[in-house]
Amino acid sequence: MSILEVRDLRKVYTSRFGTQQVEALRRVNFSVEQGEYVAVMGESGSGKTTLLNLLAALDKPTSGTVLLDGVDTASLPEKDVAAFRRDHLGFVFQEFNLLDTFTLEDNIYLPLVLAGKSHKEMAERLAPLARELGIDGLLKKYPYEVSGGQKQRAAAARALITEPRILLADEPTGALDSRSTDELLSLFAQVNRRGQTIVMVTHSVKAASHATRVLFIRDGEVYHQLYRGKDTNEQLYQKISDTLTVLATGGEVR
Amino acid sequence: MKKGFYLRLALDGMRKNRRLYLPYLLTCAGMVMMFYILYSLAYSPAVRNMRGGSTMAMILILGTVVMAIFALLFLLYTNSFLARRRNREFGLYNILGMNKGNLGRILLWETLLSALVSLLAGLACGLLFAKLAELFLAHMAGETVGYALTVEPRSILAAVLFFGVIFAVLLIVSLARVGISKPLDLLKSEAAGEKPPRANWILALLGLLILGAAYWLAVSIEAPLTALTVFFIAVVMVILATYLLFIAGSVALCKLLQKNKSYYYRSDHFVSVSSMTFRMKRNGAGLASICILATMVLVMLATTSCLYFGGENALRGECPYDVSFSLYCDHPEDCGPEAPERISELAHTLSGGREKDLTVYTLSGVSGLFRDGVLEMDGYSRFADLTSSASVLEKIRTVYLTPLSEYNRLMGTDYALEDGEALVWSSKKAYAYETLTFKGCEPIRIRGSVKDLPFRVPASETLVTMYCLIVPDWTARAAELHDFTAGLEDPLIKSDTLQLCSFDLPGVPDEEQIRITEEIVQSALDEQREAGLSFSTMSYKTRAANRTDFFSMYGSLFFLGIVLSIVFVAAAALIIYYKQLSEGYEDQRRFGIMQKVGMTVKEIKSAVNAQVLTVFFAPLLLAGLHLAFAFPFLHKIVRLFGVLNTPLLILTSVICFLAFALFYVFVYRSTARTYVAIVSAGEEGR
Ligand SMILES: Nc1ncnc2c1ncn2[C@@H]1O[C@H](COP(=O)(O)OP(=O)(O)O)[C@@H](O)[C@H]1O
Ligand SMILES: [Mg+2]
Repeated sequence: MSILEVRDLRKVYTSRFGTQQVEALRRVNFSVEQGEYVAVMGESGSGKTTLLNLLAALDKPTSGTVLLDGVDTASLPEKDVAAFRRDHLGFVFQEFNLLDTFTLEDNIYLPLVLAGKSHKEMAERLAPLARELGIDGLLKKYPYEVSGGQKQRAAAARALITEPRILLADEPTGALDSRSTDELLSLFAQVNRRGQTIVMVTHSVKAASHATRVLFIRDGEVYHQLYRGKDTNEQLYQKISDTLTVLATGGEVR
Repeated sequence: MKKGFYLRLALDGMRKNRRLYLPYLLTCAGMVMMFYILYSLAYSPAVRNMRGGSTMAMILILGTVVMAIFALLFLLYTNSFLARRRNREFGLYNILGMNKGNLGRILLWETLLSALVSLLAGLACGLLFAKLAELFLAHMAGETVGYALTVEPRSILAAVLFFGVIFAVLLIVSLARVGISKPLDLLKSEAAGEKPPRANWILALLGLLILGAAYWLAVSIEAPLTALTVFFIAVVMVILATYLLFIAGSVALCKLLQKNKSYYYRSDHFVSVSSMTFRMKRNGAGLASICILATMVLVMLATTSCLYFGGENALRGECPYDVSFSLYCDHPEDCGPEAPERISELAHTLSGGREKDLTVYTLSGVSGLFRDGVLEMDGYSRFADLTSSASVLEKIRTVYLTPLSEYNRLMGTDYALEDGEALVWSSKKAYAYETLTFKGCEPIRIRGSVKDLPFRVPASETLVTMYCLIVPDWTARAAELHDFTAGLEDPLIKSDTLQLCSFDLPGVPDEEQIRITEEIVQSALDEQREAGLSFSTMSYKTRAANRTDFFSMYGSLFFLGIVLSIVFVAAAALIIYYKQLSEGYEDQRRFGIMQKVGMTVKEIKSAVNAQVLTVFFAPLLLAGLHLAFAFPFLHKIVRLFGVLNTPLLILTSVICFLAFALFYVFVYRSTARTYVAIVSAGEEGR
């Protein structure tokens, strides 16, 4: 069974007085297998964030279903959804979303604390993870004291510490300089190699070129996908660029 | 054109920030109104013409001064809060190419507009409500005034001048603030609060120590008047400690909780404790201010209402009889029965037989320092006032001699004593010595004690311990005492000999009581001139006349307490409102993040609620504690005013606290709506 299955997903935003409707997603179908690293590529406004919010059950679809480990998240009551999200999903956002009232360490502990874990267990889990992500020297600092790249790595640690079934990332490199971007992407590849399933949405070709599979989304529809196969990052990068060029010149993608 | 431009920018800024400016302008207008009302009442001829009007005017002027100082401080505080919010906008203008001069012009317009609006609105309301306040005041003082509305140009001028100066000060402060800051600082200044707070243990401990010391001082004060300065020191210390505790102590407490890992890392404490640390750092000063204001309101209302409602009680203590005549004899041997008998007859005829409990008795008394059964009169006058320290007051006794024959007649007893013996009555502890000696006279042997006196003793007599000796050989004893004290060098020490004739006039209206008394006095004086009634001087006291004096004073104190309380409470409400606003903006962002990390909306709401409740109700609780520790002092103060009713003071304190708490909850609930609006606006925006 796929770890994530998306069937005929549709999302329509209605403005407050119902006067305007935006169809942010339509006819979205795809599935993700255990251990995959899927990138969803698209222009700004193409519906990527909407898709991710639906995957995470932060929002409800207008129609269609999202099955996570076979569970339809939209059908769960609010309080179970929160617990489900906490236990099964990890998040990384473009704008880090660290709480500035917590040290990096406490930010990372947050989901575990909510899950009622003991401090000892939390500390045991954090130590290897912090080393892997290269933030072990920064744990006592507050978000405002560290760089963007460091914040994003802390956010990744917060997402990974619950050992989630899927790591969801929304433009995780969007607010980073190129060096931090490279560091973060190689970290993602590294955790993927040890078996972590990742779904990342991005408009950056470079970010997408680290994935094992790339979905292309435009005007709310998935219209193409690429598999890495045996390609290197550079070769995948080239293929993605080509696909986008063909798209830009108006041709059909084979 | 250019001028209109800055005016427009100022207007725009105020309109865009109306959530901030509207309450600010309302507060300014409220302050103007209250200032005008107090000032115009203090100088109103109607008030001056009331009985005790000059006391009232003095109290009101005092109130105006307090009000003025408070207005200045409070508006400075709110203005700085506004400025912090506006700085971002100014930083932007600055970067867009406006120099500080241009910013200054915007500020100038803003200040002018605020001043104009608050003065116009405040004076309009002031004119309207001044009459109402006057009627209210008159009612409390038991007076009546006409209903004609008056406009007081002098008070208007005073309000305009005073608030003109305040707004000028505010402008100067704002200009200085913009002047010294760099544009980037201006842009950043709102986010500057994000640095994690450090626990300042020294300040926190200092706060605790100072608070403890202040409480100890307040509780251990014994003589309220001499210790007034001590009390003020205690007040200043309490204020300081409150600020220290809220600013440093709260953060230190949160840090302490964070250190306790098994407490901190629990889902119901984790988020609350950590964000509390930040909240406290940002809000400490505001919360401390709320606490101080609350304490002031509680103390003022509790005491002034106790005085007002206990006034009748105090009056009865001070004037135990409706009417009381004191006839002074030059010498005990001159004290014949004719004069008091004549007064009694006059009272009977002139009141139409309505007099009750008519009591005539003879006293001769002196005060001195008492030690081991000896009363020392010489040199006592150095201490002879209430400002003496507690230890001296403890030693002072007033001792009266009264004839045994009179006592037996009035009480219906048949005690028999030898010459040189006495029965003793004590206003406090039982008399513990075998003899009582007026130093320089023969000792008097104490044969026993009595529980009751045949006459009512005024409460003021019992502020120090009073003994009454019932002696069989009164004339000899009193004469000995009289002659001895007359021979002393100190002219202030002399024993008074007087005959008292007191009675009640139940059911007779106050005015008539006063009239009857004046008729008695007139007749007595006429007869003294014609027939030679034997008294040297006569004084009289009616409860009816004292009542007006009492209530003009207690009434105006209570009135002032209410007016100032309204002002302080409004100020506290504004601070709470501003806190809710800034909390709302802060939490808007956090709310979203916590949800994404896996908290349910309910969990978040309850965590936030817990914090917000703690934050807002901590000041109320501390204010209650302050009140509790001020209680012994307040108790002594109201005693000094003659209100000896402890349960009443407890009752007014508790009622004031409950009423204030109720009001506080109301303000909190209604401002919480703003908070919720802001936070949920953020939720939608996500
Ligand atoms: N809460 C919302 N209400 C209304 N329209 C929205 C909302 N969120 C997104 N949209 C619209 O849906 C479309 C897709 O948005 P989004 O998923 O944020 O795109 P992306 O993340 O790819 O930039 C856009 O046209 C956007 O305007
Ligand atoms: Mg997006």
